[in-house]
Order: sequence, then structure tokens, then C-alpha cells
Amino acid sequence: MTPEETKDSAKADVLIVGAGPSSAFAAVELSKAGFDVVVLEQGDWTRRTEFAGATKEWELKAQKDWHPNPNRRGRPADYPIDTTDSDVNPLMFNGVGGSSILYAAHWVRMLPSDFQVRTMDGIADDWPITYEELAPYYGRTEVAMGVSGLAGDPAYPDEAPYPNPPMPLNKIGHKAALGMDKLGWHWWPGPQAISARPYRHMQACVRRGTCLTGCPEGAKGSVDITHWTDAIANGTRLVTGARVREITTNSQGLATGAAYVDRAGVERHQAADVVILCANGIGTPRLLLLSKSAAHPDGLGNSSGLVGRNLMMHPYAAASGVYDEPLESWLGPSGHAIQTFEFYETKQERGFVRGAKWQVMPSGGPLGLRAGYSDSALDDVWGENFHKRIRKVTGHTFEWGITAEDLPDPDNRVVIDPTLTDSDGIPSPKIVYKSSENTRKLMDFNLARAVEAHEASGASEIHVTPLMRDCGWHIMGTARMGVDPTTSVIDKWNRSHDVPNLYVFDASSFVTCGSANPTATITALSLRAVEHLIAERRNQETPR
Amino acid sequence: MSSTNASLSEAERALYGSRADVLIPGAEGMPSATQAGTHTSLIDDALAARPDLVADFKASLALGSVEDPAAAIAELHAKQPVLFDAFSVLTSGAYLMSPDVKQIIGYPGQEERPVTGDDVGDYIGLLENVAARGPVYRPTVVS
Repeated sequence: MTPEETKDSAKADVLIVGAGPSSAFAAVELSKAGFDVVVLEQGDWTRRTEFAGATKEWELKAQKDWHPNPNRRGRPADYPIDTTDSDVNPLMFNGVGGSSILYAAHWVRMLPSDFQVRTMDGIADDWPITYEELAPYYGRTEVAMGVSGLAGDPAYPDEAPYPNPPMPLNKIGHKAALGMDKLGWHWWPGPQAISARPYRHMQACVRRGTCLTGCPEGAKGSVDITHWTDAIANGTRLVTGARVREITTNSQGLATGAAYVDRAGVERHQAADVVILCANGIGTPRLLLLSKSAAHPDGLGNSSGLVGRNLMMHPYAAASGVYDEPLESWLGPSGHAIQTFEFYETKQERGFVRGAKWQVMPSGGPLGLRAGYSDSALDDVWGENFHKRIRKVTGHTFEWGITAEDLPDPDNRVVIDPTLTDSDGIPSPKIVYKSSENTRKLMDFNLARAVEAHEASGASEIHVTPLMRDCGWHIMGTARMGVDPTTSVIDKWNRSHDVPNLYVFDASSFVTCGSANPTATITALSLRAVEHLIAERRNQETPR
Repeated sequence: MSSTNASLSEAERALYGSRADVLIPGAEGMPSATQAGTHTSLIDDALAARPDLVADFKASLALGSVEDPAAAIAELHAKQPVLFDAFSVLTSGAYLMSPDVKQIIGYPGQEERPVTGDDVGDYIGLLENVAARGPVYRPTVVS
């Protein structure tokens, strides 16, 4: 036992870093199979009563305490991220449940072409697996998360039944669907990890609509609710307030565990036979790059030089329509009422490759994410116009949100910031991220179509936001999967090419990102990889 | 030094109310900020919800003319955007917490409204049109 190791940190079979969705799915399966699992999570549990959705202060608190941008939220568990060279701010939550605490629970499969972008469109790379290989795992994630939805969507080759019936479209969904019908465009009720009836550990949704700031009812499928209690009941040891600074290795080049700092500032070490990183598309490459050694001078698992590179964040634009009739557009879930894949696939005549997924979401309350408008003329926003605007838009507005596919670009990357550190003195990540010409053309095209969709639905006003800065919910690609160790970081079973007992289960593994919300894919990949790990346990190389 | 104590003196409260009414006057059938009680308990609730804005809010009150609230707001807007944003977000946030204001604008707040029925029947006809148009995906290429 080293000086830092305590009785509590006795060697584990498997150490997982991070307690978000990929980790939760893996921990349940591993602990069920009898593995001794330790999870290190830098944040803490969030009690339902902490969420502000059922209070009158909700909209004010949403702009700070529950803001998805960690730089703005600034909780003790958050680490600062240098975004000065990025077009987009990354969004996340650091705590048990990870970003599922604040996500919208859109549970959407990627499409077959997403796994074969090189084959079909001649750009980027193919994944080493196909949609069909992942489909059974998607189905299991849908059952685990109590997904509500309607089978038969012609955007997919299979008719997967969901465990719960679709949530109501509400007035906004109906209004949007009428416009899409008029145009002859695809739409379908949005599948989501939210249900109108109680399901396993989840409560029934009451449509409060505050999903993006945490669900006070415990109805949203966040993995603190859906998975962690089961994993702990199976024997998983979940250590909160544990900020990992380095993956440790031995002279054979195998991972031996992780060095971390607890909330008392004590340096500790957790030893393990296998290490799985589930720290998200920024936290994972940060940790790999920080885990330098003589054997791994460019960071752990980085012989390809691709750790941190090919960062993709799904640029997001929106067209907001204002309607004369009341639409109760505060009503949840939020969630998505409907979605469309009409413009998802490449069409050569559009002048760009790949596409976007759109979704209709509620618009929340009257304050919204309203800034102080110091950059607008006083009379435009305040005085009589304040009242006119509030009365016109409150309950009368919904948004077609456009989630755009981001092509992998090695210049978009996560690096270690030379000066910035977190509260434990661990170097912070810096992200370098610029939108491409392809993205700009894709966004312009899709925004123009979204305006047409609102027009077809009868909007009296339409406002367009070309690229939101606070949109980086989906952080992907920074430890990509592949067959060739010179062009990828992990293999098709999510195992490091360089370190045979090191795995990456979060969205860092994505080769390309499609434009579907990624949590269904993250967890399906995690399930698939962990089952392989369990099946191959006797062949797993471990440190002596 | 700016204060992080959220409590307002009577003088600060009066000054705040006069300036809040510049941003949110009584108009369009809506009460002014002070008529809605923004300067009394609601601003206290807003400050309690956003302790990060207390210092900037108090600093905003310390600037500009005491006698001319419109001039003070104009100056704040023109010269102190950070302080103006703190003042205006807290003011609109406080105002929109008023039950009377919510009632007038027809916003019940983020209400509980459990699902009582299924609306699939209302749109299944439209979905049949979608299904009839056929697949919108490209199938996996088998090599």
C-alpha cells in the first residue's frame, strides 16, 4: 500500500472515472456480473429538492445555479474551461448522473449512414461497427431508460417498440406537425427518456417543463435515478468529491489505477485491474493528456497523436416562431414534442454534405434566458415595449431547434491550458473549435427551411439565431474508435490501442457524430463494450 | 467596496423602485414595477435567488442621479452594461414572479399538469401521410 492509499481504496477489479450515463450503464452490468467496481466522481449527488423548477425563482436560478455552462455555473465540482479560441461553449454537469442531470432526455438513435460517412459521402471516416450491430443495444437502453415514443418512424430500418407510449405533442407539437404536413416533410413524435407513467425508479412526468434545469419530480431519466441505486445495491462503490488528476501506469505500460484529490484536499490513489474513462469528451482527453510518463510522453494512449483531436460539438441554430393563438408553450416535457429527419441525409444539390436533426421544444417562461439587453436600445426592450413583447410571446412561441452534424477536424481539439487550473491546482482544458464552411452552408440551408416550416404553420413572426454560443451539449470525438492504431485511439470494443487494460466509454469514442442527440448512442456503445469486456474477462491483461 | 449583503435600506428600496418603474412603467394594461410590488418583497426574493448579482445590483444603485431616475437608468445603460444587466435581469425577474402579473399575461408558471390522456388519435392521420412517403434514411452499405 502506498502512503496515499487507504483501506477504503483497496484494489478494485474495475475503476471507472466519472458517474454519467456511460459509466452508469457499465457499472450496473459489471457489478451484476460480480466485478468489484469503484467509481470516482468529482461532483456529488443532487437531491430532487435542490432543483428550482417548482419554485417561483426558477427562471432566475436557471441562469446561474442550473446553467449548463460550467464556466458560468461555477459550482465547486466544476472545472474551468478556456473557451477563448472556440465558437461554442461546451455544456455539461459535473456530479452523479453527469450531464443527464440537465439534459433534455432526447433518446434518439443515430441513423445507418452515420456509421458509414466515408463509404456513403466520401468524407471523414466509417465507424468500425454498423447501425445493425448497435441496434440491439439501442433497444436495451430504451427499455432501461423508460423511453416514451411511437414505433414505425420511417427514418429507421427497424420498428423498435418503446417501453412507454409517446408523451402528448401538446399544442406546440400539433402546430408544428401541421406545417410539416403541409410541406410534405418528415416528422415524428420525439422519443424521450420521460414517461407519463411511473417506470422502474422514475416517477410520472407532470409536464412542468423544467427538464433542462433538473427534474424536481424525479420523472426524467437521469442515470442517478435510473441506474446508480441499482449499481450501488449490487456492490459498486461510488466515491463522490473525488477529482482524478492522473491515470497511473506501471513499467509494463498497463494502467494501475488513478490518483485523485478528495474534498479534504487529500491526495489518494485507487488501484484497479482495469480502468474505464467516462469523463466526457473534454474530461477524458484532459485526463489522458495529463497522464504523461516516460513510456507515454505525449499522454496516455496517445501514440496516434489523436487524443483531444477531432472535437465535435453539434453546432446548434434555431428558428423561433411567434403565433397569434395561445399555445401554452411553457408546458413540458422539455423533452421534444416532435422531431424531423427530413434534412438529415446528404443531398448533393444542396452544396454541402451531411445534415441536421430538428426538434420542437417548449419555450419556457417569460424571462427565459433573457439577458439584460444592455446591447439593445433602451426603448426597444424596456418601457411599453417590455409589456408588448411579454404579452406577445409568452405562451405563443416555440422553436425549431437545428442540431447540425459536425465533421471531424483534427484542428478542433482539447488541449491542456498552460496557465488555467481547477480548484485543486490540476491544469484545465482549453478547447480550440471553429465552425467549418460546410457547417455554415448546412446551417444557412436548414434555417431557411425552418423559417418555411414556421410559415407553413402560420407563424406571425419568425426570429432566427444562426449559431448559439451556449450550445455545446454534445462533446464527441476526442478519443476516436477505429481499426488502425495510427488513426484512432481505441479499438471497436472501446479499448485503448496502446494500453490493453484502459477503456473509453464516453462520447470521446465517436468517429463521426451524425446529428442525433448522442446519449442513446453513448450508452448503447457502453453496453456493447462492457459486455465484451465481461465475456473476455479471462483474456484481459491486468497489472501484476 | 461593493456590498454582498442583499438587504436593502428604505432609502435604497425607494430609489430602486423609482428606477424600476423607468424600465417597467404602468402601460398596456400592465402594472408598473412598484405597483406589482417589485420594490418590496419581490426584489428581496430575486436577490436571494441570485446572490451572484447582489454586488452589481447595489453598485448600480450607487450610480447616477437620485432625483432623476430616467437619467440614472440611461447613464447606467450607456456606461455600465454589466451593472445594467444585473439591475434589469433582477427587476424583470422579480416583476415576473408577481402572481398578479402572471395572471394578466396568462402564464400560470411552470405548473404541474399530469398527462390524463393520449393524443395519438389527434395526429395519427398526419403520421400516416409521413409513413406513406416512405423511408428517409439511407440503408447500411453491405460490402
